[in-house]
Amino acid sequence: MNSTELKSVADHLRFETVKMVYEGGDGHPGPALSIADIIATLYFDEMRIDPSNPNWEDRDRFILSKGHACPIYYAALSEKGYFGEKVENFQLRALGSKFQGHPVMNKTRGVDMISGSLGNGISIGVGMAIAGKYRKKDYNVFVITGDGELQEGVCWEGINAAAAHKLDNLIVFVDRNGWQSGGKVADIIGSNNIKERFKSFSWDAQEIDGHDTDAIKAAIARAKAAKGKPSVIVCNCIKGKGLSYMENNNAWHKGVPTKEQFEIAKKELAGE
Amino acid sequence: MKMTNFKGTREAFAAAITDLAAENSKIMFVSPDSLKAMRATKFAELHPDQYIEVGISEQCAVDTAAGLASTGLIPFVGTYAGFLTMRACEQMRTFVAYPNLNVKFIGINSGLLGGEREGVTHQFYEDVGILSNIPNFAIFTPADAAQTYHSVLEAAKIDGPVYIRAGSGREEDVFDKNTPFHKDGITVLKQYGNDALLLSSGFVLPRVLEAADILKTKEIRVTAADVNILYGRDPSKILDAMSKTNQIITVEDHNVNGGLGAYISKLACENRPARVKRIGLTTFGESGPAKELADSYGFKPETIAETVLAELEKTC
Repeated sequence: MNSTELKSVADHLRFETVKMVYEGGDGHPGPALSIADIIATLYFDEMRIDPSNPNWEDRDRFILSKGHACPIYYAALSEKGYFGEKVENFQLRALGSKFQGHPVMNKTRGVDMISGSLGNGISIGVGMAIAGKYRKKDYNVFVITGDGELQEGVCWEGINAAAAHKLDNLIVFVDRNGWQSGGKVADIIGSNNIKERFKSFSWDAQEIDGHDTDAIKAAIARAKAAKGKPSVIVCNCIKGKGLSYMENNNAWHKGVPTKEQFEIAKKELAGE
Repeated sequence: MKMTNFKGTREAFAAAITDLAAENSKIMFVSPDSLKAMRATKFAELHPDQYIEVGISEQCAVDTAAGLASTGLIPFVGTYAGFLTMRACEQMRTFVAYPNLNVKFIGINSGLLGGEREGVTHQFYEDVGILSNIPNFAIFTPADAAQTYHSVLEAAKIDGPVYIRAGSGREEDVFDKNTPFHKDGITVLKQYGNDALLLSSGFVLPRVLEAADILKTKEIRVTAADVNILYGRDPSKILDAMSKTNQIITVEDHNVNGGLGAYISKLACENRPARVKRIGLTTFGESGPAKELADSYGFKPETIAETVLAELEKTC
């Protein structure tokens, strides 16, 4: 897909996310909108997947380590046809719903790994990537983690192990939107120069505009070409990107739009 | 299957995964720098591609195992019991047990006997209690090296998470080397009578059997059995044994809460009321040679026998 098409997909996923949270009455829209362009590029341009065969052994794997951003993940899976017809009402977080508050592999088709307890996606991706090499499969493992999430120690255990095992089939996106639940990352504990930290762990490291799908595609191509080491793509993103009242407003880390706010989302994201 | 030679529970584990890997390329060993501790160096030499080293990082080891298992492989993670069940407890719960992934855990240095001279930082008497609160885990407590070997083979047959409680090599042999790991969850080893039922879990078994013999010399005739699966799905055979007496004594190298004693108390309360006296740990331990340490924390055969006598006197 070209960048215009991907932008259109990303905005549609953004709208579905806001609608999902609005109808479900709960969820994390800001962190989801932040990664819309990465998700759109992965699911609609990059990843080798077959929605009719979600357990295909040769498929690329995806882990949404910052699992609270799952509404946009569910929207992408729906759009790709993992649930047959596109889901009209996700019933996000409702009792009995297959769309849990955080992704659950046994409940939602297409989800490769449970996530939501922050910090674990990279280490789990290490296991998937080692398995790929051991079984001589040429799939890639993609992980999206948050910049605040990198404060979790287990991230760095996985980052260390990935480099030791030369996992060039592991590509990690850091959604560097500068916010975490409690406020600005820089105010809470310091941003700590993410790209340089990964580099110092012997990773291939790039930093891009996380809303530029051409840049995302180019970064993935470069990451795949970097042999003998895992890759990180630090994506400078805007939390709540695409919706005027959510952009860079951490009140939308978790929040539900009012009817009026939902109408604004229709105008800004769905052109209604 | 050819059985590699071993002595002690750690060597037994290493022998078992080596034998399994010889026949099954899906068997993996994930090591948080525990290769030497698990006595698995030979496994790594024979199956270098099936040995995954992640360094001293237990949470990463469990996550890595979850990732491996999600692709259909069968990873074993082995290291000190508490570094798994405490430090990586959340990973064992959320990323293995909840999605019911096929990961096996071997926790060594369990109990005072397992940890002995290392002291409290490396002695773990809470592991079973922690895991008994987490759905989907099968919890195996083999009583000696041979049973550890067979428990690993049995764990590999199960499609789902298994925890095996192992020691450090100070265990006495009780079972014949070829005795399989009983799926019934109980093996009666002394059957002198029904004055009391002594249930043992893990490596304190020889002490419990000796206590049964001491009691016999005092005209107290008890039954002594090894309980090798805790909180299993089918406790019917354990209940059968419990139904023959009104006095049950549990003995475990674990805190009295959450392990064998708690399990048997639950079974008694819910199914077949009987008096249950729990012998086990109620405090932290300390460094010391295994035998003396166990003796001084209430696991001396004579002490166990005295406790049984005291309990029986209460009911008279």
